[in-house]
Amino acid sequence: MCSRPLKRRWAPVINANIFAMVQKEFRHLSRDKRTVRLIIFMPLLQMLIYGFAIDTDVKHLYTVVQDEDQTPISRRLIQSFEQSAYFDIKKYVQNPQDFREALDRGGAKACLHIPPNFAKDILAGRVPQVQLLVDGTDSNPANTALNTGVAIVQSFVQKEGLVPIQVLPIDFRPRMWYNPDLKSAYFFVPGLVGLLIMLLIPVITATAIVREKENGNIEQLLVTPIKPYEIMIGKIIPYVFIGLIIAALILSGAHFIFQVPIRGNPITLFALTLLFLTVCLGIGLLASTIASTQQQASQLVMFFAAPSILLSGFIFPRENMPLPIYYLGTIIPLTYYLKIVRGVVLKGLGLWQLRDQILPLVIMAFVILFISVRKFHKRLA
Amino acid sequence: MNDVAIETKDLTRRFGDRTAVDHVNITIRYGEIFGYLGANGAGKSTTIRMLCGILMPTSGTAVVGGYDVTTDPESVKKSIGYVSQKFSLYQDLTVKENLEFFGRIYQLESRRLRDRIESVLRLTGLKEYENHLARELSGGWKQRLAVANGLLHEPKILFLDEPTAGVDPMSRRGIWELLYQLADQGVSLFVTTHYMEEAERCNQVAIIARGKMLRGGTPRELRESVSGQLLEVECSPLMKASQAFGRLPGVVGLTAYGTTLHLNVDNPKTVETALRETARAQNIAVTSVKPIAASLEDVFASLEKEMGAGD
Repeated sequence: MCSRPLKRRWAPVINANIFAMVQKEFRHLSRDKRTVRLIIFMPLLQMLIYGFAIDTDVKHLYTVVQDEDQTPISRRLIQSFEQSAYFDIKKYVQNPQDFREALDRGGAKACLHIPPNFAKDILAGRVPQVQLLVDGTDSNPANTALNTGVAIVQSFVQKEGLVPIQVLPIDFRPRMWYNPDLKSAYFFVPGLVGLLIMLLIPVITATAIVREKENGNIEQLLVTPIKPYEIMIGKIIPYVFIGLIIAALILSGAHFIFQVPIRGNPITLFALTLLFLTVCLGIGLLASTIASTQQQASQLVMFFAAPSILLSGFIFPRENMPLPIYYLGTIIPLTYYLKIVRGVVLKGLGLWQLRDQILPLVIMAFVILFISVRKFHKRLA
Repeated sequence: MNDVAIETKDLTRRFGDRTAVDHVNITIRYGEIFGYLGANGAGKSTTIRMLCGILMPTSGTAVVGGYDVTTDPESVKKSIGYVSQKFSLYQDLTVKENLEFFGRIYQLESRRLRDRIESVLRLTGLKEYENHLARELSGGWKQRLAVANGLLHEPKILFLDEPTAGVDPMSRRGIWELLYQLADQGVSLFVTTHYMEEAERCNQVAIIARGKMLRGGTPRELRESVSGQLLEVECSPLMKASQAFGRLPGVVGLTAYGTTLHLNVDNPKTVETALRETARAQNIAVTSVKPIAASLEDVFASLEKEMGAGD
């Protein structure tokens, strides 16, 4: 409607009016027990769930063994399976029917079968045969179990020095980097920083702004000398703080409770978290310009945030997704931030190495903020 | 003419092809209580929004506190206070916190802010509630808080949009006493209302309908402006009577007042005769018919009737 009072210079970015808004916002928060509880307990709860309960680690698999060779070498192989902590040898059986039985009744997850001529084959320089049967109903652990089994056999064969060089022309020595023990807490807990910022910040920001509209406070603010951009910045700053607090809370939890090593530069992580926060605040701001009630605002934000959990690769690797879904993930900010936070924390990556993730986030931040700031001004006038 | 607080010339605001405010001319002096009277949707709030500098007029001018609303709305905002129709301070902040926040937005430095908060709390009688949350206050006290808030930066002009809507009669009187006190201090008060008896309390009244200002002046001038005379008719059943009498020739306006009807007529004698005949014919019991002096509500009713005839 009227645009004149809005065309003001943005010169003093933080001024007394903004400061007054920020202080007021914290006062609102101090009286809003529900939101405070959400901000404190949701990160804690999620950290416990993803850190302890969701454990995709493969360990202590119930393993059944049929050793038809019964030589010192075959026994040493079984021993190295046992020492790996991935397989628990619980039972020895005599025939293949017992394998079936053990797997079908659900107790056993893996079966190791060593054929009669195992030791003889090795000593004769032939390629020995060992069979590992894995219960594939749960595909993730099954995969890991198989790979681990293969690795164990290979290292066993090498350690024993039993295979002449010419039989294995490639000296294949696989090694897992960044997370050698494949601990799932390493993967999930740093990712939680992104997930929680995505889930909490846009909703809290949007409802806080819409509340002013819903309660008619905006009407009173408009007749005061405060400018729309001051209202906007004043409303946003507290949630930048809260976002950073959530990030710090989870990262310290990751480090001190789950022993996740923080390999990268904390300042890099801080800066990139601010960037991601900007995108999330922009989403909240945008939702606040569309919604007219707090409920609408939170539903609108949830509509966007909920698919982010699945599409961003927070739980399931995006590489395994069908192509259209994979590309859908590229428009989700969380996708990039997850790579950033995991990259900095686990791999110690720096800004330059993360440029492919930073650039899309910068573009998103600009686009979303540009649109929402414009809409915000229009709605106020 | 530096005692003029608000002056508008042909102030007009259109929304699309609807004219919400149509060539309104008002002059209000400092120390005056100006009543802006009209039904809901008549254009009262649109006028206030323009005078507060938050809505640009489509045409015409308005000077508020010496500043033109079209060229210097920011200065206008600094020199006025505004009490909105719906309570629009923060319910989850205390009385004092609300005042602190708005005072800081008006850029009062901290010592002055403290003094001002003290003084508006005393003025409005809110001192003992200063640490209560706004939501704990009753309607009347909330309204006092809104007034206190509007006065923080010592504006010489205060806008009140239906300040007593939804407030019980006792508190309503208290609020009016407060307004008189302010007017005595030289503050000019622009009050919108649809309570006629409140309009009677104002120094100046303007009646607005469908964006047009129909009449302005002191309440007395307005009452005297009613053409013809007023008859108070005590009768029953009221609905039937009001339909029957409204159609009689010579009846310009008709309003129901409790168990009586006020008829604005051009000739009391002839109308009374016609009225009694109709009553007999239609089985309406008429207890008494007597001439009375007009109230503002009668003025309003007769203006509405004129408007209807003009359409």
